[in-house]
Amino acid sequence: MTTAEILSRARQEKRKVLTEIEAKQILGEAGITCTSTVLAASKEKAVSVSEELGYPVVLKVSSVDITHKSDSGGVKVNLKNRAEVEAAYDTIMTSCRAYAPGAYIEGVSVQPMARPGTEIIVGMIRDKSFGPVLMFGLGGVFVEVLKDVAFRIVPLEESDAADMIDEIQGKKLLEGYRGKEPADKKRLQKMLVQLSDFVNTTPGIEEIDMNPVFAYSDGAMVVDARIILSEE
Amino acid sequence: MMELFFKPKSVAIVGASGSPGKLGYVIVNNIANSDFAGQVYPVNPKSDEILGYKVYKSITEIPGEVDLVITALPTPKMTVATVEECAKKGVKAIIIESAGFAEMGGDGKVYQQQIVDIAKKNNIRVMGPNCSGIVSRGIVTSIYPMTKKVPQGNVVLIGQSGLLAAGMASDIVENESLNISKVCSIGNKCDVNENDLLEYFGDEDGVDVISMYLETITDGRNLTRIAKKVAAKKPVIFLSGGRTEAGAKAAMSHTGSIASNAKIVDAAVKQTGMIMADDFTELKDFAKVFSTQPLPKGNRVAVITLAGSVGVNVSDLCASHGLELPKLTPETTEKLKDMFDTPVSNPIDLYFSVTKIGFTKTLETTFPEAFRDANIDAAVLILAGFEYTQEAVQKKIIQKIVQEVGKPLVVCMIVGYNKYKHVIMDEMGKDLPVFPSLISGVKALSKLCEYGIRRQKLSR
Repeated sequence: MTTAEILSRARQEKRKVLTEIEAKQILGEAGITCTSTVLAASKEKAVSVSEELGYPVVLKVSSVDITHKSDSGGVKVNLKNRAEVEAAYDTIMTSCRAYAPGAYIEGVSVQPMARPGTEIIVGMIRDKSFGPVLMFGLGGVFVEVLKDVAFRIVPLEESDAADMIDEIQGKKLLEGYRGKEPADKKRLQKMLVQLSDFVNTTPGIEEIDMNPVFAYSDGAMVVDARIILSEE
Repeated sequence: MMELFFKPKSVAIVGASGSPGKLGYVIVNNIANSDFAGQVYPVNPKSDEILGYKVYKSITEIPGEVDLVITALPTPKMTVATVEECAKKGVKAIIIESAGFAEMGGDGKVYQQQIVDIAKKNNIRVMGPNCSGIVSRGIVTSIYPMTKKVPQGNVVLIGQSGLLAAGMASDIVENESLNISKVCSIGNKCDVNENDLLEYFGDEDGVDVISMYLETITDGRNLTRIAKKVAAKKPVIFLSGGRTEAGAKAAMSHTGSIASNAKIVDAAVKQTGMIMADDFTELKDFAKVFSTQPLPKGNRVAVITLAGSVGVNVSDLCASHGLELPKLTPETTEKLKDMFDTPVSNPIDLYFSVTKIGFTKTLETTFPEAFRDANIDAAVLILAGFEYTQEAVQKKIIQKIVQEVGKPLVVCMIVGYNKYKHVIMDEMGKDLPVFPSLISGVKALSKLCEYGIRRQKLSR
């Protein structure tokens, strides 16, 4: 489905929250690299998709009614074979049904386990006065505890994206701190500009989280994404 | 369209009064005392003549065209009726100074909306309500009595609060502390807002510095676009009040829970290259530095002092404000070797030179030699209020050196305020940025350097 189709379907269904699969499809269309993520509506499908993508894989509950996938026990990572995928599927279904009894669960999303990289968060929020605003920061504890992030107003130029990356306190961690793989800053810049261009030309989007994004020395990949639509 | 506010050929004052002390009198008197050379039409159904001007019963009764109408009326209802009348007369610019509109909520909001509707329909631009309009040499619409002529300077101040903007304008004009050209207060901004003025002054020749205070940002997206364009040509100093740190309550994303109004405004300031002021004094002080000093090419600063301990403190402040204190070149060091007991370092302690050749001579020779050094982009000069400081100040030696060297300088005064504040702060402060504390001077200079470096980058 195209971005326009996904957005109009969500509107028809009176949904404000897009599924992870929908969000990644939209971001992918905007040119942003995301982990391939496929919906599996059954256990059998989950296995066949896993074999196609290659182990290890991650299974996440896919439900428009469950927004906190981890809290509901809806995420299982590093599944190395068929047996583990089957077991994970059952566990996810059981715990999610218990967590949200009335929820409509369309199945699970299956995605290859991404190679670990430097954890980044990229996001967007629509401000009443300033319009769309982008956020960049290091993921995990850096964003949660230290709130070490930078903001810029859309539309962003290349130099704005470079300034954002340069503004965070923990920027040294992007340069290959203690023998770690340095982050591909050029690619992160490009990702910010692509996101800016996308939200600048696509009305109706209220908030976006790309969290985490894994940054590598040769590229960057969105591992999880969430898109919230504006009130009509 | 904005020209009608700043360069009208005719102006009507609705609510004009012949009783000194009344706002409607002050406005007419301020216009009379300004350089305004066009037609002045006071409007008041109960008077015949105010300050020598013929008074009209209503706007529609005025014979000629009216470029600008200023209203100072007791009730919002009367104001709405006047705007209606302006539409009939074909007036295209109105300044509404009266309060009692959206800032009061309730009916006030309704009245303000009525004004907006009439204005939109008839293509009228409205400044205010709840503002004091314009203070300039060409026209003064403010409700604050002006005691001197407004300078024809290169600084523009844009403020939201009427009383504050008018009060600041009055102080600045009286003390000659800033070379202003215009002060505008836009109040409730029902129509004309900061973006209109920023764009207008951005394009106006002769305006070199824009200082702006906002309580609310009407259209941040447009502000970002315009400020980026304007700040690439001239400094825009910005003070934003009422910023909040709270994230959006209803946010469903991580991003939304972290983003706050304060962070977004900060981002806009960085992105556009505006200069953030933290209070009203800085709004004025930064404008002073930017309007009187050339832009530095970098952040390498010479600290010039007569007391070692002060120099140490200033070095620390420079470091925490992103300024560097480089060594002087070997050539300068060699040239100045007789004026220092040990090879010259930075902070540059002039004490030895002063004991050898006296204070005035030191300022005339040793100081400019160091200031001119190729490693130096700007300087902080620390002056103490002593008897011997007076001569140098009176001879305007420092002003001459700044002019000749062509690099920016800020002066910080330390000790001696009781006796010499007038000489150093007030007298020298007319020409140069003089600060009553080390930190305020260093901070202002750091802003100038930051902006100078940004402009260098943009020109590449």
